[in-house]
Amino acid sequence: MKKMKSNRTSTIVLHNLLIAVLAVIWLVPIVWLVCTSFSAYSGMNTSTFFPKEWSISSYIKLFHPDTVAQFPQWFLNTFIIACFTCVISTMFVLMVAYATSVMRFPMRKPLMNLGVILNLFPGMLAMIAVYFTLKSFNLTNSYVGLIMVYSASSGLGYLIAKGFFDTVPRALCEAARIDGCSEARIFFQMVLPMSRPIIVYTVISSFLVPWMDFVYAKMILNAGISSKYTVAIGLFKMLDKSLINNYFTQFCAGGVLVSIPISILFIIMQKFYVEGITGGAVKG
Amino acid sequence: MEKKERGTALLAVKGFFAVIAGFFADFGRAVSEGDAFVKLSLLWMGAGYFKRKQYIKALLMTILEAAAIIFTVKFAMSYVPKFGTLGTVQMEKVFNMKTMKSEFNDYDNSFTILLFSLFSFVVWFAFLIVWMRNVIHVYELQKMAEKGKHIPTFLEDLRAYKEEKFHITLLTLPVLGIAIFTFIPILLLILVAFTNYDQNHMPPNSLFTWVGFDNFMSLFGGGGLTVTFGYAFIRVLGWTLVWAFFATITTYIGGILLSLLLNSKNTRMPKLWRTLFIVTIAVPQFVSLLLVRNFFSNGGIVNTICSNIGLTGFLRDIGLVSTSYIPFLSAPGWAHVMIILINIWIGVPYQMLIATGVLMNLPSDQLESARVDGASKFQIFRKITMPYLLFVTGPALVTDFVKNINNFNVIYLLTENVYTTTNQAMANSQAKEVDLLVTWLFRLTQDYYNYKMASAIGIVVFVICAVFTLIAFNRMIKGDREGTYQ
Repeated sequence: MKKMKSNRTSTIVLHNLLIAVLAVIWLVPIVWLVCTSFSAYSGMNTSTFFPKEWSISSYIKLFHPDTVAQFPQWFLNTFIIACFTCVISTMFVLMVAYATSVMRFPMRKPLMNLGVILNLFPGMLAMIAVYFTLKSFNLTNSYVGLIMVYSASSGLGYLIAKGFFDTVPRALCEAARIDGCSEARIFFQMVLPMSRPIIVYTVISSFLVPWMDFVYAKMILNAGISSKYTVAIGLFKMLDKSLINNYFTQFCAGGVLVSIPISILFIIMQKFYVEGITGGAVKG
Repeated sequence: MEKKERGTALLAVKGFFAVIAGFFADFGRAVSEGDAFVKLSLLWMGAGYFKRKQYIKALLMTILEAAAIIFTVKFAMSYVPKFGTLGTVQMEKVFNMKTMKSEFNDYDNSFTILLFSLFSFVVWFAFLIVWMRNVIHVYELQKMAEKGKHIPTFLEDLRAYKEEKFHITLLTLPVLGIAIFTFIPILLLILVAFTNYDQNHMPPNSLFTWVGFDNFMSLFGGGGLTVTFGYAFIRVLGWTLVWAFFATITTYIGGILLSLLLNSKNTRMPKLWRTLFIVTIAVPQFVSLLLVRNFFSNGGIVNTICSNIGLTGFLRDIGLVSTSYIPFLSAPGWAHVMIILINIWIGVPYQMLIATGVLMNLPSDQLESARVDGASKFQIFRKITMPYLLFVTGPALVTDFVKNINNFNVIYLLTENVYTTTNQAMANSQAKEVDLLVTWLFRLTQDYYNYKMASAIGIVVFVICAVFTLIAFNRMIKGDREGTYQ
């Protein structure tokens, strides 16, 4: 009996040890990022894993912009783009989700099928054609173009929100309709207030798009004006062959500063995602 | 089984055509059975409304019609007639005797002609639908009037947009966004693939024109000077498919294993561990991937460690490495393997999250009854957990495969400026051994302005994606269980 118990204990220890080893492997680059950002040396540290001298000089430099590194400006640019994208995308997603979930109209199924097909085609492919179009309207190198690219097609990402609206009991909407409520009022005053988790999820996920994106920003902001960059492009440019030796630790510091708020938002988003799905199921 | 699957896609297409056929039938009926004013609406869109005393609507429709005509005359007519040639007048500087300055002649811009012609076609198409719907609607009004029903006033019509027509209010903007930023660009891409739009034919300085299937010919290896393009295409396509296969399979299996590990009863503090793994994917990819690329660079930290512990020497002895460092991301073979490995690092936590969600919804009654019946843990796993996981996440494998075909970030961020090809044939076509079709396409447009080939490649990628997409789509329709909760 005793032997069995100790056997079980050792299994648990081994099990958790395995997870710990995996977690360490997964976190090594992240740890290296944080450590390097506190290095006193401005280039890449190639001889030891931990920096030889610790300092916060790269963080200080990051907030004293020069012609190459204008981190505060990039951060502000990305933030502005993200705010606009967030508002437009959230509206679009919720509108499409509600229309396809709660309302019934003849074109519903064909539209949804079309949506599924378009959704499966990665947006990457239309990318160069979008670039052509924006260029001929003089919208490259402008935030308006970038915001439009991020948010215009966002309606296609309605499926998760639709899944949530699907669980809102139909009887409630019917009752409201019988009481003479307009569809618009049902949407704004009944369904939306009940849908907090999914709204938060949609807001955060669309806010994160410009922060996480690299391709579109690289393609549209291609004039090489540092002060107009987003964080992604700015940090990418810091690692040019000619710059990397002077800016690598600043890149790390910038990476850390961007990653912290984004990671937090991402983890909150995951929580609301789970809540949105399970919370909805309970109601239904 | 096979037949049934095909049936679902067919059904969707059928449903789509049924809607269109119904629309035309309604239009035909309206034209043949409508009164004089309905027929007059074919010419003057406001006529029917005018008859039913809906003056505001009549006015709006008239304005719309006038706008369409003005659009056609003032805008479309200056581009569409040149659509066949994409312009014939080259840009030239001419000395104007009156102003005593050199000025540009009234030249054609091929790209503007192409884009605005396409735009005109789309507008005309949309207008055609509005025009047909208008006639149908007017005929409905006529029927209502004949039955002596109340004809809604303009205000009532407006109010309908937040009542029974609320979906139109909701959907207009998003659908317009998708049309402009997804649909029209795809059409434009298809058109450009049939022209010779490249660095030698850049508007406004010079013209480009239709070349038929020439670009596809050179892509598939035909045509003297461009043989290298065919070679590069086969190489890149091969690697794209290999990459997509391994990237999908490794992260899928890894994700399921990790989630099983984390969700096991033996795990202490599962939430903490999960968060640790999520941190890796919460860091934006441009940070984590650019970092990892320097982590593994030729003079990077991993190389230092490897040479310190003698691994580099060992690899050199057995002939895997010929340089003084390990070319993790700068030599073919090494780079290919490393990219897939790094992708595991970045992709497994994602799959873990998805698999965890599925595992949480495991049918607990089945598990319970299996346990009561005395099934062993392994039996439960093999007979219940695994089939369920595969059933739910299986279709996503196809979508993931398509996503990986277009996984721009991983490849571009890891290899751009790091990997230089030594293969002359590849270099001639601006391709590298580690390129995916999309990264190649991106470089062709951004650095070499070779739009014609990029568009042709884009279409090929499109077709590949379409095949897999249709498979996934069939599965999805089959698994469409909306309404089960309602």
